[in-house]
Amino acid sequence: MQQLLTDAQKASREEFRTFVALNVEPFAEQWDRDQRIPDSVLLKLAQRGYLGCSLPPEYGGQGWDTVTFGLLNEAVGRALPALTGVLTVQSMVSMALLKWGTAEQKRKWLPPLAKGEMIGAFALTEPGAGSAVESLVTEFAQDAEGHTVTLNGQKKWISCAQFAAVFLVFGKLAGRPVACVVPRETPGLHVEPISDLMGFRAAGLAQLTFNDVEVPSANIVGKPGFALSHVAPVGLHYGRISTACAALGLLRGCFEESIAHAAVRKIGDKSMGDIGMIRSLIARMGTDLEAGSFLCHNACRAEDEHLPEVFEKTLMAKYFTSRAAVRAASDAVQIKGAAGCQGSSPVSRYYRDAKIMEIIEGTTQIHEDILGKMFVDQAGRLGRNRRGEFSDD
Amino acid sequence: MTPTEKEKGIKETLRGFILSSIALADLADDDDLFESGIVNSLFAVQLMTFIEKTFAIEVGMADLDIENFKSLNATMAFVLKKNGRRGG
Repeated sequence: MQQLLTDAQKASREEFRTFVALNVEPFAEQWDRDQRIPDSVLLKLAQRGYLGCSLPPEYGGQGWDTVTFGLLNEAVGRALPALTGVLTVQSMVSMALLKWGTAEQKRKWLPPLAKGEMIGAFALTEPGAGSAVESLVTEFAQDAEGHTVTLNGQKKWISCAQFAAVFLVFGKLAGRPVACVVPRETPGLHVEPISDLMGFRAAGLAQLTFNDVEVPSANIVGKPGFALSHVAPVGLHYGRISTACAALGLLRGCFEESIAHAAVRKIGDKSMGDIGMIRSLIARMGTDLEAGSFLCHNACRAEDEHLPEVFEKTLMAKYFTSRAAVRAASDAVQIKGAAGCQGSSPVSRYYRDAKIMEIIEGTTQIHEDILGKMFVDQAGRLGRNRRGEFSDD
Repeated sequence: MTPTEKEKGIKETLRGFILSSIALADLADDDDLFESGIVNSLFAVQLMTFIEKTFAIEVGMADLDIENFKSLNATMAFVLKKNGRRGG
């Protein structure tokens, strides 16, 4: 992997690792226990420009390439995956607005998002609509003059909603999917924290209830009818890049914890690393880490080069690293034994957090459905080109 | 390159991409991609990214109109219109 990075990317990676070692890692356990990320760390992320790193400088962002964004997510994911939730949703809201926002929306919302003065949250999931986003029931109604829209409905499992200042909310307007920016202070919007999650406990999840929440029609992002086909996919795509790289960081954490433990832990007169069964677990983890690194790098590079295949590369990266993270976390706990089961052990937290990564930004099964169809379609294309081999015609 | 050759080039480039992305035996110039239900939202953003990358144009909020992307002919006309706007 190292050889694929530019000197600037290598320098950024060192900067991220140092930042995380000083400002995140020593406090990760406490924040997980408190189920809260302190404002002070959000401020530090903002001061470093990390919360607007993918936005262009004209809006106050850093204009970083996606490979660097991925390295940031990996570094943070290594220490506290829940904190990557902020990077994930901030990029989802920011990049959807950058792509589909009006000039006025970009002028108004992007600079505070880029500077981290404002945290955004992506309000797509509903109590009755998770993977099946077309089943959204949050209702938007427009006034006769077309000046305002009024929202009614509920959103659930919304990351960072506990502290977000602005929400990108998805619903339906006259039966057509629509997306709209809703500031937190809008009357009728109620935010109820969700606590005691299995993992990502510090990610500030909440349920949102909209009771006649009125916002200007000028807050509609994209055009009605395109929210699920164009607006949401741009946000979810960045969310998957972020989550894929964060899961890679978690996987790296599991690997490093495991090899360190295996090197020093004695079982009788042998070190743990001398035992074949332990070596097998570590071999799988290390190989998954290398493979995941390449998949994430490929996806990020494809995004930087604006290649159409970026979507499938990102799906593959997120699918692979989130599953590998779950396996690695389970094996890391196994290797550390009883010590790994204690709440203060990082691998105990990794174990709980890893499962969340298989669910957010599209479940493993949704990824399999999309990727499986894609591969079958590609085989169909081969069949057209090499008919003799693929059909009886 | 005459306009007709340019149109033909754009159309065949688009046809090649679409047929490489979705399971279709063939694609007529006016076949409605979205009405047929054979494409999903992932294809919609893939097609958009392909158009942006291949023809060096940017698809923005104002371009979100199904008429621009519903068929090969519609998408070709959209590309020509965007190219014309930037004098290309």
